[in-house]
Amino acid sequence: MQEKLGLIVNPVAGMGGSVGLKGTDGKMYKKALELNATPVTPKRTRDLLSHIRNRYRIELLVPPGRMGEEYVAGLNIPFMVIGMVEEETSAEDTKRMAAEMLRKGVRLLIFVGGDGTARDVYDAIGLSLPVVAVPAGVKVFSSVFAVSAKAAAEMVDAFLEGINVTEEEVLDIDEEAFRRDRLASRLYGYLLVPNVREFLQAGKEASNVSKPSVQSKKDIAEYVVKDMNQGILYLLGPGTTVKSIADEVGVTKTLLGIDAIFEGELVGTDLNEKGILELLERYKRRKMIVTPIGGNGFIFGRGSKQFTPKVIKQVGRENIIVVGTKDKLSRLDCLRVDTGDLELDKLLHGSLEVTVGNKEEMLMEVR
Amino acid sequence: MMKGVIRLNMNEVPYPPPQRIIEAAQRGLSNLNRYTDLEHLEYLRRLLANYAGVSRKHVILSAGSNLLLREVIHLFSKGRKVVMISPSFLPIVEVTKQFAIKSVSIRLSPPDYDLNPEMLMKTVKEPTLILIDNPNNPTGKILLDRETVESLTQNTDIFTVIDEAYYEFSQVTFANLVHDRPNLAITRTMDKAFSLAGARVGYIIAGESFLNAFSSYDPFLPQCSLYAAIEALNNLSYMKRNVRRIIEERERVLRKLDKLGAHVYSSSANFFLMKIELPGIAKRIRDMGVLVSDLSGQLSPGFIRVSVGTPEENDVFLDSYTKILEEDDSRRLFSKNHA
Repeated sequence: MQEKLGLIVNPVAGMGGSVGLKGTDGKMYKKALELNATPVTPKRTRDLLSHIRNRYRIELLVPPGRMGEEYVAGLNIPFMVIGMVEEETSAEDTKRMAAEMLRKGVRLLIFVGGDGTARDVYDAIGLSLPVVAVPAGVKVFSSVFAVSAKAAAEMVDAFLEGINVTEEEVLDIDEEAFRRDRLASRLYGYLLVPNVREFLQAGKEASNVSKPSVQSKKDIAEYVVKDMNQGILYLLGPGTTVKSIADEVGVTKTLLGIDAIFEGELVGTDLNEKGILELLERYKRRKMIVTPIGGNGFIFGRGSKQFTPKVIKQVGRENIIVVGTKDKLSRLDCLRVDTGDLELDKLLHGSLEVTVGNKEEMLMEVR
Repeated sequence: MMKGVIRLNMNEVPYPPPQRIIEAAQRGLSNLNRYTDLEHLEYLRRLLANYAGVSRKHVILSAGSNLLLREVIHLFSKGRKVVMISPSFLPIVEVTKQFAIKSVSIRLSPPDYDLNPEMLMKTVKEPTLILIDNPNNPTGKILLDRETVESLTQNTDIFTVIDEAYYEFSQVTFANLVHDRPNLAITRTMDKAFSLAGARVGYIIAGESFLNAFSSYDPFLPQCSLYAAIEALNNLSYMKRNVRRIIEERERVLRKLDKLGAHVYSSSANFFLMKIELPGIAKRIRDMGVLVSDLSGQLSPGFIRVSVGTPEENDVFLDSYTKILEEDDSRRLFSKNHA
């Protein structure tokens, strides 16, 4: 029996790159066209489809024209066209089509695009459906993306062969700031992707990174909470690992925002820089808890822009607590910072201990 | 075409031991109704001491070096911090958790995966047990130099254990320091260069502080392993030949992979690290009948560790890798034709 998979292509993703626009969000697509930018998604999409080994096992649901249909015709893969889109496509089309795929009962949604496309897909389906994300955008910072179209094909195959799925991060990149060579971002949400790491073979030397992610986060949370002191303000950064600490304390934390707790009580929710600075005025003893972004390892500068240089300096390097699961850290070469303040970045460089479990830490280089 | 599966995933030496060693093991089997005799155990200790260039009292035997590492952790981690390396395959994390104040793994970073001595020294400001494999598995890198080991062992609150499972390939050892450094111990094995993985003969070359703690340790070895190890140490020529052949093969395979454009790392052991930007590459190679070690649980995506096999086995691995590259090229062509 054929497996029903969805495919959505953002036909304008990546077009801004070659003409130096750093993205095609909003009005920039038209500007890219004026500059004779050529589409990059057709090749990526064909690369992907031609590398799927289990092509004979799938049936694709695709939107019409440049959002899917154009690339599957003639590939000997059964497909069905769903919905309607205008010649000029938009983020709304991606959202609408993704929601439609979910309704039609696809088992996996493949999309080709950049960070903006990933956000649209997240808005439409959240964690209801696993995805494979093929990188084609100018900005591809989210860890949901495969490293290449070929790698994405391997992920599709792995999924068809029964691999399980894991949560990966979707980032919101500020395109205007990015055009000014400044990377400002925040964690936007999570999508489910096939866990290609499950290819680990069994045997004597099987990895020790086998504990389910939920249990690992719980271990970290228990250890950190046991070590929390009275009279100290704790600023909690975004992410599921940090959220598990709030869960352990017994308060409700926003998943993507910065929240503050003091002696077991929530004293700030979804704080911006101003809100954090006000709290720092009131509480003289403070610590911040952050987790690196999966895939690139940033602890400051990408994913938690509310932790501005001013905030970080006031809290102090010695009061930074970094947490992360072994599974996530094993994929990172080092931690990274990009606060926008070179002096502060330099101060943060060196090494930091990351809490990875109960009484377990990993000493990682900060670059 | 070779039949069966090729095991390049366990860092074993592919050559079986010579007939005289198999016969020695068989002599051990003929005494299965008897416990291992102390006289032969002492003889093996003496041979190992000579081999390592230390006095006999510093050598403690065990059925595999993993058991010794676990014993060290049981005896020395209580009330101490335990420092290790990541990535590493020393099977100790879970054991450590039960006894140590906490465990800290120092993450090796690209491009060289070297151990920064300053980072190491910074972590040992309190009573600590350090466990480091040198060369490191899976990178194959030498992580420690004499100066670092001497600095570490100056502080008597710090116990340092260095695993030299691949010493015969690296020729780097700190064994002779144990005479002067009571808080230093070296673990070794005859599993690798001696072709005796199935016999599980391990030993620790220990400084005085370790010896005191190990005074009641009962060295247990099965008769057949004991006899095989004695025979192996009485004539080292086959082991030296093993090492020579493996190193030659390792360098040949690395040169070939380099020509194929693969990202490979130099190694001081009987295996090497390789990065391939294709998820599931270990599985794809395995599907072609060659087992390699998938490191996706230890390092960033795309890393595999390949043990050096016989020239024929290595050629099958190289052919499999080339075939995967060709398959990808033909898919790329397919994609281009449909563009």
